[in-house]
Amino acid sequence: MNRRTTFLLIILTLDLAIAIALAFTGLVTTPVDIKQLGLFYIENSFFGEMSAMTPEVVSSIVWDYRGLDTIYETAVFFLAIVAGLAVFGTVETSSGVSKGLTNLAKTATKLMSLLIISVSASIALHGHLTPGGGFQGGSALAVTPLLLIPTFSVYELVNRGVTTTRLIAARGLALASIGLIALLPVFRGLEIATNTRFYPAYFMGQLISGSLFFYNIFEYLAVASGFAAIFLYISIPERCLDGEISRGGG
Amino acid sequence: MASSIGWSVLLTTLGLNILIAIYGIVYGKTLTKKLISLTILSDTVNLFFIFIGYRYVVPSIPPVLVELKPEYIEYLKAHGVDPLPQALVLTGIVIGMAVNSLIAFAIIQTYRLEKTVDARKLVGLETIEVEE
Repeated sequence: MNRRTTFLLIILTLDLAIAIALAFTGLVTTPVDIKQLGLFYIENSFFGEMSAMTPEVVSSIVWDYRGLDTIYETAVFFLAIVAGLAVFGTVETSSGVSKGLTNLAKTATKLMSLLIISVSASIALHGHLTPGGGFQGGSALAVTPLLLIPTFSVYELVNRGVTTTRLIAARGLALASIGLIALLPVFRGLEIATNTRFYPAYFMGQLISGSLFFYNIFEYLAVASGFAAIFLYISIPERCLDGEISRGGG
Repeated sequence: MASSIGWSVLLTTLGLNILIAIYGIVYGKTLTKKLISLTILSDTVNLFFIFIGYRYVVPSIPPVLVELKPEYIEYLKAHGVDPLPQALVLTGIVIGMAVNSLIAFAIIQTYRLEKTVDARKLVGLETIEVEE
Protein backbone atom coordinates (compact mmCIF):
# COMPACT_ATOMS: atom_id res chain seq x y z
CA MET A 1 0.00 0.00 0.00
CA ASN A 2 1.60 3.23 -1.09
CA ARG A 3 1.63 6.48 0.85
CA ARG A 4 -1.18 8.12 -1.09
CA THR A 5 -3.64 5.25 -0.41
CA THR A 6 -2.71 5.20 3.29
CA PHE A 7 -3.24 8.95 3.54
CA LEU A 8 -6.63 8.64 1.80
CA LEU A 9 -7.70 5.82 4.13
CA ILE A 10 -6.70 7.85 7.21
CA ILE A 11 -8.69 10.85 5.97
CA LEU A 12 -11.77 8.69 5.27
CA THR A 13 -11.54 7.02 8.70
CA LEU A 14 -11.25 10.42 10.36
CA ASP A 15 -14.26 11.65 8.39
CA LEU A 16 -16.31 8.64 9.48
CA ALA A 17 -15.19 9.03 13.10
CA ILE A 18 -16.12 12.73 13.17
CA ALA A 19 -19.50 11.90 11.60
CA ILE A 20 -20.32 9.22 14.19
CA ALA A 21 -19.12 11.46 17.05
CA LEU A 22 -21.31 14.34 15.83
CA ALA A 23 -24.33 12.02 15.58
CA PHE A 24 -23.81 10.49 19.06
CA THR A 25 -23.32 13.86 20.78
CA GLY A 26 -26.57 15.08 19.22
CA LEU A 27 -24.92 17.99 17.41
CA VAL A 28 -26.19 16.70 14.06
CA THR A 29 -29.72 15.34 13.84
CA THR A 30 -31.91 14.65 10.84
CA PRO A 31 -34.16 17.63 10.13
CA VAL A 32 -37.90 16.93 10.31
CA ASP A 33 -39.26 20.47 9.82
CA ILE A 34 -38.72 23.10 7.17
CA LYS A 35 -38.45 26.86 7.65
CA GLN A 36 -41.48 29.16 7.86
CA LEU A 37 -40.50 30.88 4.61
CA GLY A 38 -40.58 27.54 2.80
CA LEU A 39 -44.03 26.84 4.25
CA PHE A 40 -45.22 30.27 3.05
CA TYR A 41 -44.21 29.45 -0.52
CA ILE A 42 -45.88 26.02 -0.35
CA GLU A 43 -49.11 27.55 1.01
CA ASN A 44 -49.25 30.42 -1.47
CA SER A 45 -47.93 29.08 -4.77
CA PHE A 46 -51.35 28.05 -6.06
CA PHE A 47 -54.19 28.50 -3.55
CA GLY A 48 -52.96 31.25 -1.24
CA GLU A 49 -53.78 34.96 -1.23
CA MET A 50 -50.44 35.79 -2.89
CA SER A 51 -50.76 33.02 -5.46
CA ALA A 52 -48.46 32.71 -8.46
CA MET A 53 -50.97 30.25 -9.97
CA THR A 54 -48.41 27.48 -10.41
CA PRO A 55 -48.42 24.05 -8.75
CA GLU A 56 -44.61 23.84 -9.06
CA VAL A 57 -43.42 25.75 -5.99
CA VAL A 58 -39.77 26.09 -7.12
CA SER A 59 -40.85 27.66 -10.44
CA SER A 60 -43.13 30.07 -8.57
CA ILE A 61 -40.13 31.26 -6.50
CA VAL A 62 -37.74 31.41 -9.45
CA TRP A 63 -40.02 33.36 -11.80
CA ASP A 64 -42.48 35.10 -9.49
CA TYR A 65 -41.56 35.68 -5.84
CA ARG A 66 -37.86 36.15 -6.62
CA GLY A 67 -38.33 36.86 -10.34
CA LEU A 68 -36.05 39.89 -10.42
CA ASP A 69 -33.16 37.72 -9.15
CA THR A 70 -33.68 35.41 -12.09
CA ILE A 71 -33.78 38.26 -14.59
CA TYR A 72 -30.44 39.55 -13.27
CA GLU A 73 -29.03 36.01 -13.24
CA THR A 74 -29.93 35.66 -16.91
CA ALA A 75 -28.16 38.96 -17.53
CA VAL A 76 -25.01 37.64 -15.77
CA PHE A 77 -24.96 34.60 -18.05
CA PHE A 78 -25.40 36.89 -21.05
CA LEU A 79 -22.40 38.98 -19.96
CA ALA A 80 -20.25 35.81 -19.75
CA ILE A 81 -21.19 34.96 -23.32
CA VAL A 82 -20.43 38.52 -24.44
CA ALA A 83 -17.00 38.08 -22.81
CA GLY A 84 -16.59 34.93 -24.93
CA LEU A 85 -17.46 36.97 -28.01
CA ALA A 86 -14.81 39.51 -27.01
CA VAL A 87 -12.16 36.77 -26.76
CA PHE A 88 -13.18 34.64 -29.76
CA GLY A 89 -14.85 37.22 -31.98
CA THR A 90 -11.86 37.57 -34.29
CA VAL A 91 -11.38 33.86 -35.03
CA GLU A 92 -12.19 32.89 -38.61
CA THR A 93 -14.47 29.90 -38.65
CA SER A 94 -15.32 28.91 -42.21
CA SER A 95 -11.81 28.31 -43.53
CA GLY A 96 -11.54 24.58 -42.83
CA VAL A 97 -13.03 21.51 -44.48
CA SER A 98 -13.93 18.33 -42.67
CA LYS A 99 -16.07 15.37 -43.64
CA GLY A 100 -17.25 14.46 -40.16
CA LEU A 101 -18.10 10.91 -39.13
CA THR A 102 -19.75 8.12 -41.18
CA ASN A 103 -23.27 8.27 -42.64
CA LEU A 104 -24.43 5.79 -40.00
CA ALA A 105 -23.31 8.08 -37.19
CA LYS A 106 -24.84 11.09 -38.95
CA THR A 107 -28.25 9.42 -39.33
CA ALA A 108 -28.21 8.23 -35.72
CA THR A 109 -27.31 11.76 -34.57
CA LYS A 110 -30.16 13.25 -36.59
CA LEU A 111 -32.64 10.89 -34.92
CA MET A 112 -31.17 11.52 -31.48
CA SER A 113 -31.30 15.28 -32.05
CA LEU A 114 -35.03 15.09 -32.85
CA LEU A 115 -35.64 13.16 -29.63
CA ILE A 116 -33.55 15.60 -27.57
CA ILE A 117 -35.40 18.59 -29.04
CA SER A 118 -38.81 17.11 -28.17
CA VAL A 119 -37.78 16.06 -24.66
CA SER A 120 -36.16 19.43 -23.91
CA ALA A 121 -39.23 21.28 -25.23
CA SER A 122 -41.47 19.25 -22.91
CA ILE A 123 -39.15 20.01 -19.94
CA ALA A 124 -39.33 23.73 -20.73
CA LEU A 125 -43.03 24.04 -21.62
CA HIS A 126 -44.16 22.05 -18.56
CA GLY A 127 -41.81 24.01 -16.29
CA HIS A 128 -44.74 25.66 -14.48
CA LEU A 129 -46.43 22.28 -13.81
CA THR A 130 -43.65 19.77 -13.14
CA PRO A 131 -39.99 20.01 -12.07
CA GLY A 132 -38.06 21.58 -14.92
CA GLY A 133 -38.23 24.93 -16.65
CA GLY A 134 -36.50 27.17 -19.13
CA PHE A 135 -32.94 26.71 -17.91
CA GLN A 136 -33.18 22.95 -17.54
CA GLY A 137 -34.89 22.54 -20.93
CA GLY A 138 -32.38 24.86 -22.58
CA SER A 139 -29.45 22.93 -21.09
CA ALA A 140 -30.96 19.69 -22.44
CA LEU A 141 -31.42 21.25 -25.88
CA ALA A 142 -27.79 22.43 -25.83
CA VAL A 143 -26.75 18.77 -25.92
CA THR A 144 -27.83 18.77 -29.61
CA PRO A 145 -24.99 21.05 -30.83
CA LEU A 146 -22.60 19.04 -28.63
CA LEU A 147 -23.61 15.93 -30.59
CA LEU A 148 -23.70 17.68 -33.98
CA ILE A 149 -20.23 19.25 -33.68
CA PRO A 150 -18.19 16.00 -33.56
CA THR A 151 -20.52 14.13 -35.94
CA PHE A 152 -20.89 16.70 -38.73
CA SER A 153 -17.77 18.79 -37.85
CA VAL A 154 -17.87 22.40 -36.74
CA TYR A 155 -17.21 23.68 -40.30
CA GLU A 156 -20.35 21.96 -41.59
CA LEU A 157 -22.44 23.72 -38.93
CA VAL A 158 -20.85 27.09 -39.66
CA ASN A 159 -21.29 26.65 -43.43
CA ARG A 160 -24.98 25.86 -42.85
CA GLY A 161 -25.40 29.18 -41.10
CA VAL A 162 -25.14 28.16 -37.43
CA THR A 163 -22.64 30.84 -36.53
CA THR A 164 -21.82 32.25 -33.10
CA THR A 165 -22.98 35.71 -34.25
CA ARG A 166 -26.43 34.37 -35.12
CA LEU A 167 -26.66 32.39 -31.88
CA ILE A 168 -25.74 35.49 -29.87
CA ALA A 169 -28.36 37.46 -31.82
CA ALA A 170 -30.97 34.76 -31.04
CA ARG A 171 -30.01 34.90 -27.39
CA GLY A 172 -30.27 38.70 -27.42
CA LEU A 173 -33.77 38.50 -28.94
CA ALA A 174 -34.89 35.92 -26.36
CA LEU A 175 -33.52 38.05 -23.51
CA ALA A 176 -35.21 41.15 -24.94
CA SER A 177 -38.48 39.18 -24.97
CA ILE A 178 -37.99 38.24 -21.29
CA GLY A 179 -37.45 41.95 -20.53
CA LEU A 180 -40.56 42.86 -22.54
CA ILE A 181 -42.69 40.28 -20.67
CA ALA A 182 -41.47 41.82 -17.39
CA LEU A 183 -42.03 45.39 -18.63
CA LEU A 184 -45.47 45.09 -20.31
CA PRO A 185 -47.51 45.38 -17.05
CA VAL A 186 -45.88 48.78 -16.38
CA PHE A 187 -47.82 50.28 -19.32
CA ARG A 188 -51.06 49.31 -17.56
CA GLY A 189 -49.94 51.04 -14.37
CA LEU A 190 -48.88 47.82 -12.57
CA GLU A 191 -45.50 46.95 -11.05
CA ILE A 192 -42.67 45.56 -13.15
CA ALA A 193 -42.70 41.73 -13.51
CA THR A 194 -46.37 41.50 -12.42
CA ASN A 195 -47.65 37.98 -12.92
CA THR A 196 -51.29 36.88 -12.73
CA ARG A 197 -52.79 40.36 -12.27
CA PHE A 198 -51.74 41.12 -15.86
CA TYR A 199 -51.25 37.80 -17.65
CA PRO A 200 -54.04 35.18 -17.73
CA ALA A 201 -53.54 32.09 -15.54
CA TYR A 202 -55.54 29.91 -17.94
CA PHE A 203 -55.47 29.95 -21.74
CA MET A 204 -58.12 27.92 -23.58
CA GLY A 205 -58.70 25.85 -20.45
CA GLN A 206 -55.01 25.05 -19.99
CA LEU A 207 -53.11 26.27 -16.94
CA ILE A 208 -50.26 28.47 -18.19
CA SER A 209 -49.58 30.24 -14.84
CA GLY A 210 -49.51 33.77 -16.28
CA SER A 211 -46.10 35.09 -17.26
CA LEU A 212 -44.26 31.93 -16.10
CA PHE A 213 -45.06 30.11 -19.33
CA PHE A 214 -43.62 32.92 -21.46
CA TYR A 215 -40.55 33.31 -19.25
CA ASN A 216 -39.87 29.57 -19.54
CA ILE A 217 -40.16 29.61 -23.36
CA PHE A 218 -37.81 32.55 -23.82
CA GLU A 219 -35.36 31.35 -21.16
CA TYR A 220 -35.36 27.98 -22.97
CA LEU A 221 -34.35 29.65 -26.24
CA ALA A 222 -31.88 32.00 -24.54
CA VAL A 223 -30.07 29.28 -22.59
CA ALA A 224 -29.95 26.87 -25.54
CA SER A 225 -28.52 29.47 -27.94
CA GLY A 226 -26.09 30.71 -25.27
CA PHE A 227 -24.74 27.24 -24.56
CA ALA A 228 -24.58 26.45 -28.29
CA ALA A 229 -22.52 29.62 -28.81
CA ILE A 230 -20.12 28.60 -26.02
CA PHE A 231 -19.73 25.09 -27.49
CA LEU A 232 -19.04 26.56 -30.94
CA TYR A 233 -16.44 28.95 -29.48
CA ILE A 234 -14.64 26.12 -27.74
CA SER A 235 -14.80 23.73 -30.73
CA ILE A 236 -13.30 26.10 -33.27
CA PRO A 237 -9.71 24.99 -33.91
CA GLU A 238 -7.19 27.78 -33.93
CA ARG A 239 -3.82 28.09 -35.57
CA CYS A 240 -2.01 28.38 -32.24
CA LEU A 241 -3.70 25.22 -30.99
CA ASP A 242 -3.15 23.24 -34.22
CA GLY A 243 0.60 23.16 -33.66
CA GLU A 244 0.14 21.84 -30.16
CA ILE A 245 -2.25 19.12 -31.31
CA SER A 246 0.11 17.92 -34.06
CA ARG A 247 2.90 17.59 -31.51
CA GLY A 248 0.67 15.30 -29.47
CA GLY A 249 0.39 17.69 -26.55
CA GLY A 250 -2.69 19.57 -25.38
CA MET B 1 -30.05 6.94 15.50
CA ALA B 2 -29.04 5.21 12.27
CA SER B 3 -30.59 8.02 10.26
CA SER B 4 -28.67 10.60 12.32
CA ILE B 5 -25.38 8.79 11.64
CA GLY B 6 -26.18 8.57 7.94
CA TRP B 7 -27.04 12.27 7.86
CA SER B 8 -23.87 13.13 9.77
CA VAL B 9 -21.70 11.05 7.40
CA LEU B 10 -23.31 12.82 4.46
CA LEU B 11 -22.59 16.29 5.84
CA THR B 12 -19.00 15.56 6.94
CA THR B 13 -18.27 13.95 3.55
CA LEU B 14 -19.54 17.08 1.84
CA GLY B 15 -17.21 19.08 4.11
CA LEU B 16 -14.33 16.77 3.13
CA ASN B 17 -15.21 17.26 -0.54
CA ILE B 18 -15.03 21.04 -0.05
CA LEU B 19 -11.56 20.66 1.53
CA ILE B 20 -10.39 18.48 -1.39
CA ALA B 21 -11.72 21.06 -3.87
CA ILE B 22 -9.92 23.91 -2.06
CA TYR B 23 -6.71 21.80 -2.08
CA GLY B 24 -7.16 21.36 -5.83
CA ILE B 25 -7.68 25.08 -6.37
CA VAL B 26 -4.56 25.98 -4.39
CA TYR B 27 -2.19 23.16 -5.48
CA GLY B 28 -3.56 22.35 -8.97
CA LYS B 29 -0.69 22.33 -11.46
CA THR B 30 -2.49 23.93 -14.40
CA LEU B 31 -5.24 26.53 -14.64
CA THR B 32 -7.53 23.88 -16.15
CA LYS B 33 -7.13 21.64 -13.10
CA LYS B 34 -7.85 24.63 -10.87
CA LEU B 35 -11.05 25.28 -12.84
CA ILE B 36 -12.11 21.63 -12.46
CA SER B 37 -11.55 21.92 -8.69
CA LEU B 38 -13.61 25.12 -8.66
CA THR B 39 -16.53 23.32 -10.34
CA ILE B 40 -16.26 20.52 -7.74
CA LEU B 41 -16.35 23.17 -4.99
CA SER B 42 -19.42 24.94 -6.41
CA ASP B 43 -21.25 21.65 -7.02
CA THR B 44 -20.55 20.51 -3.45
CA VAL B 45 -21.81 23.78 -2.03
CA ASN B 46 -24.95 23.49 -4.16
CA LEU B 47 -25.52 19.94 -2.91
CA PHE B 48 -25.01 21.17 0.65
CA PHE B 49 -27.74 23.79 0.14
CA ILE B 50 -30.10 21.17 -1.26
CA PHE B 51 -29.55 19.03 1.85
CA ILE B 52 -30.24 22.05 4.11
CA GLY B 53 -33.77 22.11 2.65
CA TYR B 54 -34.27 18.36 3.04
CA ARG B 55 -36.46 16.88 5.75
CA TYR B 56 -36.39 13.34 7.08
CA VAL B 57 -40.05 12.33 7.01
CA VAL B 58 -41.60 9.30 5.34
CA PRO B 59 -42.44 9.86 2.57
CA SER B 60 -40.51 13.02 1.80
CA ILE B 61 -41.84 14.53 -1.44
CA PRO B 62 -40.78 17.29 -3.87
CA PRO B 63 -42.57 20.64 -3.48
CA VAL B 64 -45.01 20.13 -6.34
CA LEU B 65 -48.81 20.09 -6.06
CA VAL B 66 -49.63 16.92 -7.99
CA GLU B 67 -53.31 17.35 -7.11
CA LEU B 68 -54.88 20.79 -7.45
CA LYS B 69 -56.99 20.45 -4.27
CA PRO B 70 -56.71 22.70 -1.19
CA GLU B 71 -56.55 19.57 1.06
CA TYR B 72 -53.28 18.52 -0.66
CA ILE B 73 -51.56 21.65 0.72
CA GLU B 74 -51.68 20.20 4.26
CA TYR B 75 -50.08 16.96 3.06
CA LEU B 76 -47.39 18.95 1.21
CA LYS B 77 -46.74 21.08 4.31
CA ALA B 78 -46.20 17.91 6.34
CA HIS B 79 -44.12 15.97 3.80
CA GLY B 80 -42.70 18.42 1.24
CA VAL B 81 -39.06 19.49 1.25
CA ASP B 82 -38.13 23.19 1.45
CA PRO B 83 -38.47 24.77 -2.04
CA LEU B 84 -36.40 27.89 -1.29
CA PRO B 85 -32.90 26.27 -1.27
CA GLN B 86 -33.79 24.50 -4.53
CA ALA B 87 -34.72 27.82 -6.16
CA LEU B 88 -31.57 29.51 -4.84
CA VAL B 89 -29.40 26.62 -6.04
CA LEU B 90 -31.00 26.89 -9.48
CA THR B 91 -29.94 30.54 -9.60
CA GLY B 92 -26.52 29.59 -8.19
CA ILE B 93 -25.97 26.94 -10.87
CA VAL B 94 -26.63 29.43 -13.67
CA ILE B 95 -24.32 32.05 -12.18
CA GLY B 96 -21.68 29.36 -11.50
CA MET B 97 -21.99 28.24 -15.11
CA ALA B 98 -21.48 31.84 -16.29
CA VAL B 99 -18.42 32.30 -14.06
CA ASN B 100 -16.95 28.94 -15.13
CA SER B 101 -17.33 29.70 -18.82
CA LEU B 102 -15.78 33.13 -18.26
CA ILE B 103 -12.79 31.49 -16.55
CA ALA B 104 -12.55 28.91 -19.35
CA PHE B 105 -12.40 31.73 -21.90
CA ALA B 106 -9.72 33.46 -19.82
CA ILE B 107 -7.68 30.22 -19.71
CA ILE B 108 -7.92 29.83 -23.50
CA GLN B 109 -6.83 33.45 -23.94
CA THR B 110 -3.95 32.86 -21.51
CA TYR B 111 -2.86 29.89 -23.62
CA ARG B 112 -2.97 32.00 -26.76
CA LEU B 113 -0.79 34.69 -25.25
CA GLU B 114 1.59 32.70 -23.04
CA LYS B 115 1.55 29.28 -24.81
CA THR B 116 1.08 27.57 -21.44
CA VAL B 117 -1.57 27.13 -18.75
CA ASP B 118 0.90 25.92 -16.12
CA ALA B 119 0.30 28.15 -13.10
CA ARG B 120 3.94 28.03 -11.96
CA LYS B 121 5.32 28.98 -15.37
CA LEU B 122 2.82 31.83 -15.58
CA VAL B 123 4.06 33.40 -12.35
CA GLY B 124 7.68 33.02 -13.39
CA LEU B 125 8.69 29.88 -11.49
CA GLU B 126 9.33 27.82 -14.63
CA THR B 127 12.68 26.57 -13.35
CA ILE B 128 10.99 24.27 -10.80
CA GLU B 129 10.39 20.84 -12.33
CA VAL B 130 7.73 18.75 -10.66
CA GLU B 131 7.01 15.14 -11.66
CA GLU B 132 3.35 14.18 -12.17
